[in-house]
Amino acid sequence: MGILEIVSPTQAPHVKNLFGHYDTGGFYDEMFSSPGVPRPHFRHIYQTLSTMRPEVFEERRHLADLSFLLQGITFTVYSDGRGTERLFPFDLVPRILPRHEWDHIERGLTQRVLALNLFLQDIYGPQRILKDRKIPRPLVLSCRHFRREMIGIQPPRGIYTHISGIDLVRDSKTGEFYVLEDNLRTPSGVSYVLENRLVMTRTFPRAFELDQVLPISHYPAELCQILRSLSPHGGSDPVIVVLTPGIYNSAYFEHSFLAQQMGVELVEGRDLVVDCDVVYMKTIRGLTRVDVIYRRIDDEFLDSLAFRSDSLLGVPGLISAYRAGNVALANAVGNGVADDKAIYAFVPEFIRYYLGEEPVLRNVETYLCSRPDHLEYVLAHLEELVVKAVGESGGYGMLIGPSADGAQIDAFRRHLREDPRNYIAQPVIPLSRCASYDPASGEMAGRHIDLRPYCLFDGEKVIIVPGGLTRVALKPGSLVVNSSQGGGSKDTWVLRGDA
Amino acid sequence: MMLSRIADSLFWIARYMERAEDTARILDVNYHMVLESYQSYRLRWHPLIIITGEQELFFQHYQEATAPAVIEFLGFRPDNPDSIVQCVSKARENARTIRDRISREMWEDINGLYHQVLAFRMDDEIAAGPHRFCNAIKFGCHRFHGVSDATLPHDEGWQFLQAGRSLERAEMTARIVDVEYHNLVEHPESPAPPDNHQWMAVLKSVAAYEVYRRQYHTQIEPEKVAELLMLSPHHPRSIRFSVAALQSSLRAISGTGAHAYANEGERLTGKLHDSLTYSRISEIFERGLHAYLTDVQKTCRAIGGQIAHTYFYYSAAA
Repeated sequence: MGILEIVSPTQAPHVKNLFGHYDTGGFYDEMFSSPGVPRPHFRHIYQTLSTMRPEVFEERRHLADLSFLLQGITFTVYSDGRGTERLFPFDLVPRILPRHEWDHIERGLTQRVLALNLFLQDIYGPQRILKDRKIPRPLVLSCRHFRREMIGIQPPRGIYTHISGIDLVRDSKTGEFYVLEDNLRTPSGVSYVLENRLVMTRTFPRAFELDQVLPISHYPAELCQILRSLSPHGGSDPVIVVLTPGIYNSAYFEHSFLAQQMGVELVEGRDLVVDCDVVYMKTIRGLTRVDVIYRRIDDEFLDSLAFRSDSLLGVPGLISAYRAGNVALANAVGNGVADDKAIYAFVPEFIRYYLGEEPVLRNVETYLCSRPDHLEYVLAHLEELVVKAVGESGGYGMLIGPSADGAQIDAFRRHLREDPRNYIAQPVIPLSRCASYDPASGEMAGRHIDLRPYCLFDGEKVIIVPGGLTRVALKPGSLVVNSSQGGGSKDTWVLRGDA
Repeated sequence: MMLSRIADSLFWIARYMERAEDTARILDVNYHMVLESYQSYRLRWHPLIIITGEQELFFQHYQEATAPAVIEFLGFRPDNPDSIVQCVSKARENARTIRDRISREMWEDINGLYHQVLAFRMDDEIAAGPHRFCNAIKFGCHRFHGVSDATLPHDEGWQFLQAGRSLERAEMTARIVDVEYHNLVEHPESPAPPDNHQWMAVLKSVAAYEVYRRQYHTQIEPEKVAELLMLSPHHPRSIRFSVAALQSSLRAISGTGAHAYANEGERLTGKLHDSLTYSRISEIFERGLHAYLTDVQKTCRAIGGQIAHTYFYYSAAA
């Protein structure tokens, strides 16, 4: 048997290698430091994959897909009129970060989350930063997601950003990580982080033995701990619920996943009722008081009495119960003012102003179209820039200049002139790439990626599970990683050491 | 504390699964009986539509109850709310809304069944006969209950599942006996006496054929079939058995002891169970089988309404 094993069929010369035609294409490649030379922290996984027969890889990929399908980890596409369920594409090649890079990212995110939370306390409180003229008052007050109703209301323990998802990209030119945007309202995707890891450990168990990958499975427990600490009456066993818009929401799987992992109730608006500023849920034994709500419904749909009166998703009277201090909400109401894409440009300034520190992670250079000089520049360089609507997320309301046609550019030129406050522009960042499986060719190919770590804030410290969600633009050449636009995801490994 | 919506979903998951299974059973058995029989097909396919209570809808789409039409209608049609595919889809949709509250195994099982059912091509099943399809449903439903029993805590949620299944089964068996007796005994379309095959089919459709053979050792007699399917305390698909199971689930939910009731649903269930326990089949025939079974079905619907009223719904004022 020993002799046979030496001439393993995986090494036979006529067999195709998954990396046979791999081209780093002049981008920063997460896996390779130069063509054919893997970076030290990718050494083991490269060895595993490059000696694996393509059929074997294809088989594992099939098993992984099947596992997602059977678990119902799907999102629903309504554009075809039938509500087809699709898998969120999962790429089996992990994205690996060495420890020193992660430590740097963690320092940067911690600082950023602290500053953003202080900014929200300030804006809905004394507004010192406006008085000190560090950011233009009209810019802040004109944010679509600024909630005047929240001024003067102290959320429990002063926490606004219990959960934030901060999008990072690595610029191919410098190899450095930049913050692309902050998501402080109801960031989603953390369930994919946890499920991707589960599927990876089943698909490539050996790889986890070789590499010392930092664990991430404690996320739900950390989140639950924070939610418990928010209980208004401080009792030992608060009633915590996850509030979902319901089964038709694209992130529904995540809502039920988190409720199940935390062992708390998943409720819809219709399960709750407010009486005398107290929130109750309807059970088979009558009404039960609710203390803490992890809500995954946007501000404007939360309470038809306070915000949009046509919303059936939320709970009438909820905001008044919140104001009365009878129920805690995570995240706080009004966070959208801090993740507005125009406000984003000032976050480095917040870090200096509130913390007296220099930002560890830099922002991408940003043109505010509300400023006439910037607007003029943007209008003259639309073909080279990315233009984004400030209040949107999920890759909607966006122009990517270099790949847009004349009509799209003209349309945005009009939008920009009509409503400059609503737009910002940034240079196109040549995102780093990571080897990813290309089903069309049956081989590995470089695809652009980003990284969204999930940061929890307990009022004192910021807790970040190592890694986060790596999103990958699976279309060749594409820079858009959003799942609604053909993106997929990868498992993200942070190694205990540097290799 | 169990949310009303979750109890409601569990109750309906079980009802839809039971409905899918029962429909698959009558479809499968009937198909095979028609293959063996020389009677005209119309005679045998039409009652299936009556049993499921969707005559009006059926004849909006079809002229005649032929085998392909009935298989399509009861098995696959998306606009028939009681078609097997619709029942499985709705059961799975309900499970999806409460997947955090059922076991992962249950969810993966029912989700797997859903994808399996969607993969059947209707035209193939009509051409080849619905046996493969019906069998998949039958065993899918059995497996679902097995997985539930083995992985879900046997608390009130599990009791709501049991209650849904028992109520649906009691009502379905009542309808099967009612329609078949009416067709085969009281108003036969052909003057010849109905042959054994048809009663065998009825028994098989509720998995009672072997039981009948063992219990009665006689030719198949319609009264005895009715007795077995309505009054047997042991056959798991008899009306009495199902109502007893329903009663025990409802008592477990409310914590009521024997000889008492906590709400209107329990009172109706207890009354029905007493009638099924202490009536002789001969007495039921004297009073009229059809009238009796009509009452059973009405009571089942009332019990369903009372369960919803007690546990699921809140008035707008709360």
